[in-house]
Amino acid sequence: MGLAIMVIALGACNYNSTEVKKRGDTTKATATAALAASGTSVKDIVEHYLHIKNALAKDDGNEAANGGKALADVIAQFDQTSLTAEQKKTFADIQGDAKEHAEHISTNAEKIAHQREHFATLSKDVYDLVKTLGAGQTLYNDFCPMYNNNKGATWLSETKDIKNPYLGKTMPTCGTVKETLQ
Amino acid sequence: MVAFIVAQFIQPAHNESGQVMPADISKTVSVPQVVDVVLNTACYDCHSNNTRYPWYAYIQPAGWILNSHIKKGKAELNFNEFGSYPLRRQQSKLKSIASQVSDDAMPLASYKWLHKKARLSKEEKVLIIDWATKTNESISSGK
Repeated sequence: MGLAIMVIALGACNYNSTEVKKRGDTTKATATAALAASGTSVKDIVEHYLHIKNALAKDDGNEAANGGKALADVIAQFDQTSLTAEQKKTFADIQGDAKEHAEHISTNAEKIAHQREHFATLSKDVYDLVKTLGAGQTLYNDFCPMYNNNKGATWLSETKDIKNPYLGKTMPTCGTVKETLQ
Repeated sequence: MVAFIVAQFIQPAHNESGQVMPADISKTVSVPQVVDVVLNTACYDCHSNNTRYPWYAYIQPAGWILNSHIKKGKAELNFNEFGSYPLRRQQSKLKSIASQVSDDAMPLASYKWLHKKARLSKEEKVLIIDWATKTNESISSGK
């Protein structure tokens, strides 16, 4: 227990300083693991987000809906104890919105186009979340310029290879890696 | 028949509020009069704190079905409480307003069937889509 508190405290210090962000990564991961028992972490959110992403890339609306349901649950049960005041503010802004997008994805298994609309905004939410709290794993922020009448949209991926969740099987490799998040 | 008669006595509480609404959308973003008229006519029955109840609302089970639509509609988006949403949710709602109107998903077909005025003309749709899109852009840049 004492160790857990110390880890949390260390994590909190690192969150305040962007310079030590790189070094803080391991600490952050440990803090996340220590807290997993009492609530869900960014890792859980990323996991279920990627579940939706991979389902959409396969044009599988039912599987995306399953991912959406799981994602809405882990967002609702997210453990905020280790967050700084500033991070809590960001999380509060993201939480309700992301949960709603996840719910819409879960209830629209038959309407994959609608799932993708919500996935586009959800991707922005999860990106901002990972930017603020760290993902504990390498993620790629990809961009597809063709989606939504060439307005384009981004998504996060765990692999460097492009697997487009917006165009699915019609254009599976459309897109480029815009940013690598460590 | 007996069940039908008994049902008539179970009237859901009405969605009506005479209150001043500090979180109303018009207090958060600019809502031109022309847009306001369309929102009032085509959206507010289910997406605000005030429903104009039609005659069939008093006949069950029609009133119950109506009531559940209003409950769901308000949870999804309530124009009278828009200002209380976090900025991110406001943006998502404006985006969804534009896409739902553009896809003809909203107003609901069943609602349009009974409410002639809620059947939006092409011009009215463009008006709402443009307004929602521009408002979304303006609050995004003002972040």
